Amino acid sequence: MRTLLHYGRLWLAFARFGLMRELSFRGNFLVKVSVELLWLIILLIFYDMVFTHTSVVADWSREEYLFFVGCYYALGGVIETLFLINCGEFAELVRTGDLDFYLLLPANEQFLITSRDLDWATLPNIFLGAGVSMLALMQLGWDFDLGRLLLFLLLFACGVALAYSFLVLLTAASVWLVRNQSLYEVWWLFTTFMRYPREIFAGRWAYPIGWFFTFVVPVIVATNVPARVMVKVLEPELAAYTLLASAVLLVLSRKVFYLALQHYRSASS
Amino acid sequence: MLRRPARLGALLGEVGKYGRIARIALVERLAYRLDFILSTLLRFLPMLTTILLWLAVYAGAGQLSGGQLGGFSLKEMISYLLLVHISRMFSSMPGLAQGIARDIREGNLKKYLLQPISILPYLLSYRAAHKAAYITMTAVPYALLFFLCRDFFAGWPSAPVLAAYLLSLLLGFLIGFFLEAALGMLGFWFLEVSSFLYVMGTLTFFLSGHMFPFDLLPAVFAQVLKALPFQYLAYFPAAIFLDKVPQEALLSALMTEAVWALALALLASWLYRCGLRRYSAYGG
Repeated sequence: MRTLLHYGRLWLAFARFGLMRELSFRGNFLVKVSVELLWLIILLIFYDMVFTHTSVVADWSREEYLFFVGCYYALGGVIETLFLINCGEFAELVRTGDLDFYLLLPANEQFLITSRDLDWATLPNIFLGAGVSMLALMQLGWDFDLGRLLLFLLLFACGVALAYSFLVLLTAASVWLVRNQSLYEVWWLFTTFMRYPREIFAGRWAYPIGWFFTFVVPVIVATNVPARVMVKVLEPELAAYTLLASAVLLVLSRKVFYLALQHYRSASS
Repeated sequence: MLRRPARLGALLGEVGKYGRIARIALVERLAYRLDFILSTLLRFLPMLTTILLWLAVYAGAGQLSGGQLGGFSLKEMISYLLLVHISRMFSSMPGLAQGIARDIREGNLKKYLLQPISILPYLLSYRAAHKAAYITMTAVPYALLFFLCRDFFAGWPSAPVLAAYLLSLLLGFLIGFFLEAALGMLGFWFLEVSSFLYVMGTLTFFLSGHMFPFDLLPAVFAQVLKALPFQYLAYFPAAIFLDKVPQEALLSALMTEAVWALALALLASWLYRCGLRRYSAYGG
């Protein structure tokens, strides 16, 4: 418990420092926030364009799909705010040998490398995503159901854990790839599976791909399962699988991360 | 009488110089093979999910067998989504504008001022080499992808259309290069341009037609987007290949693209000359 409190205080200190740094360059901060807003607007234009041509996409109605978009955007916001900026710098730390500095500090290496900084500019994404989801629920005329809401929040947390684990695995690969400067791009490409409903993976050749990225590399479930629980139906087996997969992947990614650190050769020392 | 061979020799020397720069850039690009292969393979994933999404959209609209959305049948839409990747393979310039702005900010521009090389031809030959390496290394996976998706295509276009398509890709490369270079030159006037470049990158993804063909939007928006140079980065070459540009209008459309390429080249060059007057080589 004391350790948790210690890391909580440390994280708050990092966050405070990050906020002070961001506010030193307020113009830049506002532009960064505007870019995120612009991206959401583009997503919504795309969504609106699609539903002017059809009333249903892979079993998802206009309002249900809007909830999905909001859910994806909020989950992406959590990952970008808390972890992506840190993991994105890891490859450069490996390449230049500056990782030595973090390894010598008296704190958990994974915490320092993946969570030492907070991207304040992407924090509004979480609220924007939540706002879009709430708008969709209002359009759907959703009746408040506390049990369903709590289950959604639990599965959303599992989705974050899954996404974080995959990010850690991709980050760890930097040690072997030496230069992995395109982590942002790689992450963007990899999360393409989170962006769409699972039901689009239909048909002779698409179904096995969907199955693979649901059960072997469970990236599709990160957004699909929480969104389905909230606006469609609860599939108990899939929900249980999501819980299990997130726990397994958290452990696995941690092990791979430390294995990568063992293979790290301090480049500049 | 002696001036002509001397001039020719100087010209050949210039070409050889930038050829050597291109060779060095090629070797550098191939030094990080694993990183390159991983990001190339992952690049196919959005293609896959986008195709599946559009299959679902056409199925939802009841237009799976031959019906059209925005003038595009399902097969044409999927062909388009594949072809824009070829367009972007030529026109995207990752890191170019940031690199120029960084050189300005950190005073590294002096290497172009002290050595007998000009910044824009140097960067152009450097990028051409990177593109050559990228296109060569991705040719096999792309050929396999297009072979697997061959049923979505109506067949090869006629020889003139194919020639126009290839020309539009090369002009798209030049437009992408000079547009990014011009953006990078803004570093002479602003200390930090990364946020602005991020805005432009996000906008370009939409304005180039990378996400979907403009024809799906209301006519007035489609017309505006087709009047901007961004369309040459993705939409225009794909539209040529799919015979969406009438053959009688091909020549004038390509000439318009060439004029945009020239205008952007002049703009980048002009911004560089204006910027040099303000340049103080901080940190250099």
